[in-house]
Amino acid sequence: MTPNDAPRSPLARNALLAMTVVGAAGTAAAYLSAGPARFWANWILWTLFLLTIGLGNLFLVALERLVGAHWSVPMRRVPERIASLVPLAIPMLIIAFFGVPVLFPWTFPEAAHNPILMQKTPWLNLPFFAIRLAACALVWLLFYSFFVRGSLRQDASKDAAFTIKARKLAPLFMVAFFFTVTIVAFDWISGLEPEWYSDMFGVYLFAGTFLSGIAAMALGVLGLIRRNRLPDVKPKHFYNLGTLGLAFTVFYAYIGFAQYMLIWYANLPEEVVWFKHRIEGPWYPVAMLLPIFHFALPFFLLVGAVGKKSPKVLRIAMLSLLFAHFVDLYWLIFPTLGAQPLFGWPELAMGCLFLGLGFLQIRRAMGRGADMPVGDPLLAKGLEWQL
Amino acid sequence: MSNGTFAVLGLYTDAQKIVDAANQIRPRKLGRLEAYTPYPVHGLDRAVGLPPSPLGKLVMGMGLLGTALALLFEWWTSAVDYPLITGGKALFSWQAFVPVMFEVTVLFATFTAGLAMLFAFNKLPFFGHPVLHSKAIKGITRDKLALSIESADATFDVEAARQALLDNGAESVEVVPVPAWDKPLSLVGLLRTIAAITAACIVAGAGLYGAEKMIPVVPPMLHMHNQPKLNAFRSSTFFADGRGMRPAVAGTVARGHLPPAFATPDEAGLMLANPLPLTQKSAERGRKVFNDHCAVCHGSVGDGVSMLSRAYGGKPANLLSNEMRGRSDGQIYGVIMLGKNAMPSYAPDLDESDRWAAVHYVRVLQRAQNAKDEDLR
Repeated sequence: MTPNDAPRSPLARNALLAMTVVGAAGTAAAYLSAGPARFWANWILWTLFLLTIGLGNLFLVALERLVGAHWSVPMRRVPERIASLVPLAIPMLIIAFFGVPVLFPWTFPEAAHNPILMQKTPWLNLPFFAIRLAACALVWLLFYSFFVRGSLRQDASKDAAFTIKARKLAPLFMVAFFFTVTIVAFDWISGLEPEWYSDMFGVYLFAGTFLSGIAAMALGVLGLIRRNRLPDVKPKHFYNLGTLGLAFTVFYAYIGFAQYMLIWYANLPEEVVWFKHRIEGPWYPVAMLLPIFHFALPFFLLVGAVGKKSPKVLRIAMLSLLFAHFVDLYWLIFPTLGAQPLFGWPELAMGCLFLGLGFLQIRRAMGRGADMPVGDPLLAKGLEWQL
Repeated sequence: MSNGTFAVLGLYTDAQKIVDAANQIRPRKLGRLEAYTPYPVHGLDRAVGLPPSPLGKLVMGMGLLGTALALLFEWWTSAVDYPLITGGKALFSWQAFVPVMFEVTVLFATFTAGLAMLFAFNKLPFFGHPVLHSKAIKGITRDKLALSIESADATFDVEAARQALLDNGAESVEVVPVPAWDKPLSLVGLLRTIAAITAACIVAGAGLYGAEKMIPVVPPMLHMHNQPKLNAFRSSTFFADGRGMRPAVAGTVARGHLPPAFATPDEAGLMLANPLPLTQKSAERGRKVFNDHCAVCHGSVGDGVSMLSRAYGGKPANLLSNEMRGRSDGQIYGVIMLGKNAMPSYAPDLDESDRWAAVHYVRVLQRAQNAKDEDLR
C-alpha cells in the first residue's frame, strides 16, 4: 500500500507555522524581559510535556509488542506517529542543559557547603548529568528508530519476521524505559529541589507519562476516525484505550497519594517542605486541579462501559487527563521559582512555540506510511477482534 | 403439550452459527432464550437478548457507600468518641483515613460484585439444573454449543421451538423435560444430615484431641513470641547487675520537676512571685487542682474543716485566716512543694503551673470570704 494520500490542508499548516514563529519571537522576548530562571523553567516544562507524551506513546507501541496484543494493531500508527515527539524533544532537552546552572541549586557555589548535597555529589554533578542525558537520548533514539521505522518498512515488505523481532526486543525496551523515565524524573524535576527525596517519584512520573501517552493516542485515534481516515476502527477497539486510561488514572492517584501520605505522616523537615510549598498558600488552587482533572473527572467518566465506547465521553476524559498532566508538570516545576504561581505571556508564548513544533512534527509524521500498519500480519486479527 | 417440558435444546458446533440462530429466533418470542457453551462466545449475550447487567451500577453504589461509611466511622472514632492526638496530627486527619476508606470501598465493591452476581443475578443456589440431566450435556461441556428455548409459561409450544431450531441450522434437537425432583427437605433427610454432621464433628474432635496428645505441637509464631528483648519487670543477662529495667542516671531530673532553689517556704516567699497571670482560665485550673488534691484536708472552701479532718482529729491549716491571708504567693508555693507539719510534699503530683494555679485559687477563696463592696457590682 502507498503512503496515505488523504487531503491535507495547507491552511492548517500555515496556521501552525505562524503560531510557531510568533511563539519563537515571544520566547526570545521572554528570555530578555522575564529573566533566565523563568525562561529555563518554561523550557524544561514544555520540553518534558512533549517528551512524556512521546515516550508514553513509544511505551504503548512497545507494550503492544511485548504482550502480543491484537486489539491495538489497527490503531498502532497513531502512537507511532505521536512518538515522533521524542526525537523532537531530545534536542530541546540538550538545549535545556544550558539552563541547569541557572535553575538547579546543586550547581550553585553554596551547594559545596550543604551537608545533604555534599552526600549527593556522586550523582548530582554536571559531567555525570551530561552522560545520563546522552545515554537516555541514545536509548530513546535507538528504540524509536527500531520500533517506528521498522513498522513503516513493514508496510511495504509485509515481513512477519519484524513482528517477531519486535516482540523479542520489547522487554529490553521496558527495562530501558523504566530506567530512563526514572532518570528524567530525578534529574529534571526532583533535582530542582535536590534536598527533597522520594523513592516513588520515578513511578509517579511514569504514571503521568503513561496517562498523557494514552490520552494523546486516544485523541489522535478519535480525530482520525472523525476525519474518516480509520473507517475500520470501531468502539470495540478504542474501548480498551478507555480501560487502560481508567486503570492508570487509579494507578496515578494511588502512587500520588501514597507519596504524599508517607511524607505527610513522617513529617521530616527536608521532605515535607516540598509539599508545603506546593499545597499551601497560592499554590493550593493549582494543586486542587490534580485530584479533579487527573483523577475524579476521568475516573467517573470512564468507569462505566458506556463512557469507554462513546467517542464524546472518551474525548472529554482524555482531554482532562492531558490537561491535568500539563498542570502536574507545572505544579512540580514552577514552585521552585517562588511562592506565587507564575502564568502569563512568557508561558503562553513558549507554549505556542513548543506546541506548534509538536503539532508540525506529528503532521510531518502523518505523511509517512498508511494510517494503519498494513504490513503487520496481526492486522487482520486486530480488525476481527471482539470485545 | 408443554406440560413437563423445561426447554428445547438445539446443538451447534460453530460459534458464529449459534449467534446468527439466536438473532433469528429471538424476535419470534417462542420462549425464554438461553445459551449453554463450553467457552465464552462474543456477541452471544446480545443475541439471546440479555439486557446490560445492572451489576456495575450496584457495585459503584455499594463502593461509594463503603467509602462514606469508612469516613464516617473514622471521623467518629478519632475525632468524636475517643479524641487522641497521634503524631502531632489533627484529630480529623483525612490523609490518614484514606487507606481505610480505600480498603472498605474495595471490600464493599468486591463483596457486592461476588454475592450479587451469584445470588441475585445467577439465582444461586440452584441444585441440579435440568440441562445437567440432558443427553447433550456431555457435548455442551466439551465441544458443542447449545441454544435453548425455555418454557416461560403455559403457552410454550415445543413443536414450534423444535422447528425454529432446526430451521436455523441446529445439528440436532433435544427436548429436556423438567426432572422429577425428590422433595428437597424431608424429616428423615434432615435427621440423617444432622446425624452425619454430629458424627463428623465427633470424629474430627477426637482425632484432633488424640493428635495433640501424641504429637508434640509447636506453637505457631514461636519466633515472634520469644524475642531477645527486655520485658518490663524481668531480669536480664545483658547488664552486670542483672536488672532489666534501668535506674535513672544519678542527677536525672524529670521535665518540669527541677529541684527547688529554696530550703524553706519562707525562703521561697522571698524569692518567688506567681508567674502565672490571674485569669478565668488559670483560676478554673486552680479550682480543679485544689478540689483534687487540697480540699480533702483543707476543706472545699479552704477553712481547714473537711470530712477527713473531722474523722481523724487532724488540724489542717485554715487558709482563710488572717495569718494565711498575709502570706505571700511564694510562701504558699513553698509549702505545696516542701510540705509542712503533717502535710507531705505535693511536688511529685503537681507540675509547676498546677501549683501556681492552686495558689491563685487559694487567693480566690480568701477573697470570696472577705468580699468587698465593689465585688458585688
